[in-house]
Amino acid sequence: MRLFAVTVLVAGTLSTIPVQAEDLLAGADIGYGEYLSGECVTCHSQDGADKGIPSITGLDPETFATVMHAYKVGDIEHPVMKMVTSRLDAEQIASLAVFFASLPAAE
Amino acid sequence: MTKFSRRHFAGGLLAGSTALAMPSLAFGAAPRVVVIGGGAGGATAARYIAKDSKGAIDVTLIEASKRYYTCFFSNLYLGGFRNYGSIGHNYYGLAVNRGVNVVHEWATSVDTAAKKVNLGHGGEVSYDRLVLSPGISLKYDSVPGYSPEAQSLMPHAWTSGTQVQLLRDNVLKMKKGGTFVMVPPPNPYRCPPGPYERVSMIAHLLKERNPTAKIIILDPKAKFSKQGLFMAGWEKHYPGMIEWLDPDTHGGIKKINAATMEIETDLDTFKADAASVVPAQRAGSIAMAAGVNDGDWCPINPANMTAKADPNIYVLGDASVASSMPKSGFSANSQAKVAANHIRGELTGSRVYEPRFANTCWSLIGTNDGIKVGANYKAGAEKIDVTDKFISQGDEAADVRKATYEESLGWYAGITSDMFS
Ligand SMILES: Cc1cc2nc3c(=O)[nH]c(=O)nc-3n(C[C@H](O)[C@H](O)[C@H](O)COP(=O)(O)OP(=O)(O)OC[C@H]3O[C@@H](n4cnc5c(N)ncnc54)[C@H](O)[C@@H]3O)c2cc1C
Ligand code: HEC
Repeated sequence: MRLFAVTVLVAGTLSTIPVQAEDLLAGADIGYGEYLSGECVTCHSQDGADKGIPSITGLDPETFATVMHAYKVGDIEHPVMKMVTSRLDAEQIASLAVFFASLPAAE
Repeated sequence: MTKFSRRHFAGGLLAGSTALAMPSLAFGAAPRVVVIGGGAGGATAARYIAKDSKGAIDVTLIEASKRYYTCFFSNLYLGGFRNYGSIGHNYYGLAVNRGVNVVHEWATSVDTAAKKVNLGHGGEVSYDRLVLSPGISLKYDSVPGYSPEAQSLMPHAWTSGTQVQLLRDNVLKMKKGGTFVMVPPPNPYRCPPGPYERVSMIAHLLKERNPTAKIIILDPKAKFSKQGLFMAGWEKHYPGMIEWLDPDTHGGIKKINAATMEIETDLDTFKADAASVVPAQRAGSIAMAAGVNDGDWCPINPANMTAKADPNIYVLGDASVASSMPKSGFSANSQAKVAANHIRGELTGSRVYEPRFANTCWSLIGTNDGIKVGANYKAGAEKIDVTDKFISQGDEAADVRKATYEESLGWYAGITSDMFS
């Protein structure tokens, strides 16, 4: 299985993220995550297809949340994901992380 | 808080999501939603309502065509970057995977008092909530001399399908060194960058097949979407080939004669070897028939996409007045999810979350040279307002432009599966 496409530096090295590792999934609500996922799957195929935009299904939820925070604070630079994460708070990110973790990983 | 492991979900939730796909068997008992138009807005709305209500809502989709050819990526087909078959989609997934009752008929009128939709070949369907996402109708007479007859000579190709194939063929048949004329529509219209991406793709085709040909754009607008990026791209890929004339320069389009392929302006009469004329637009006719329009378009309540004129009717996509949101497939898909969530809440008491709107539009200028513009929006009291936005930069490196193009391929796969799977 592949790992995250954009980051080899996740977990630990992203020092500017204002969320403690153990709190990354605090407040997660999978039902809310499913609703919020609607705005992701216009780009990220929910069946895990991986063409031009990385697949985000079936990934470790803590790493997923770390990457989302990294886009938000600019540790990983990408204009689209910066905009997407700019209006997500920690609980929304946690909810998305557990929802996408629940979907089957890309082939 | 509970922590979820992937293993837990592989067994648990997955089984659950197969159940979501079960068609509704509680015929008659379940509340009924009718969706008119199976495009970017309507297919998404039908799919989300059916999928998320797990059979508790009976969903009927009325769509005239058995196959939906996307307008998005129709320009890439013109340029030779996609084959025509790859932009066609059918309704198998909605019917079979989601249990949507797909009716291939033309909806002719809506009786809003009796809450019924009448169909072209007779018959009617009643609804508790109606979703209208009929796209656009063309105002042919906005361009003097243009008409449904003229469109076979100067295709608008603005509702995809056969017209786009015809346009490509016309461009390929141009004489060596001939002239292609593009007449873009006035605001507001479907897909603000669309005419300029179209010009880019036709230039790409001509550069390969007919490099001395010229392209003239007779624009009714003084400026256009992503103008700086497009014009710089044209200079780079197609130097000297494309000339954009604003209304101050050409003085307005006075008359079109499709038979002689002439376009008359104050400045000059342009003789085209091939042309595309895109007239002004308005909401699809069924929205007018339902009486939810105010003039050419349908005002909506930003919080949930209900029509201002009727709380039982939702208007999505191009037909709606979504204020700052451009008329795009991405916008329509985003609006559909807001409406679907609200409809479910109204009919089954499920949780209604805050509306969230977004849009990103990619355009291709030349091989591996993609650009994009995007924004987040929030529902204000009266309007859908922009909160953040971004646009590609003029000085981007080639690998960034290539990645942007590749993203658009991912997006196309994503949105079409979000509509039809
Ligand atoms: C050249 C071009 C390029 C584009 N590129 C992009 C792009 O890159 N990205 C992007 O996001 N958008 C793009 N768009 C815009 C996008 O295609 C539209 O904004 C989008 O399709 C709008 O969705 P809709 O649901 O409002 O209407 P549509 O997708 O047009 O769907 C309407 C459907 O309703 C059906 N219908 C209408 N009336 C009736 C009736 N009475 N009974 C039964 N069926 C009916 C029609 O057959 C049609 O299938 C482009 C458009 C063009 C023209
Ligand atoms: C407009 C298209 C678009 C939307 C909408 C979008 N993304 Fe992304 N996403 C991308 C692109 C493009 C990348 C690759 C970015 C990069 O190269 O850093 C990406 C990367 C990611 C990654 C990193 C994946 C990896 O393997 O490294 C995650 C996680 C992610 N997105 C989650 C989300 C979530 C969650 C949402 C919804 C809240 C979302 N995205 C919405 C386009 C989008």
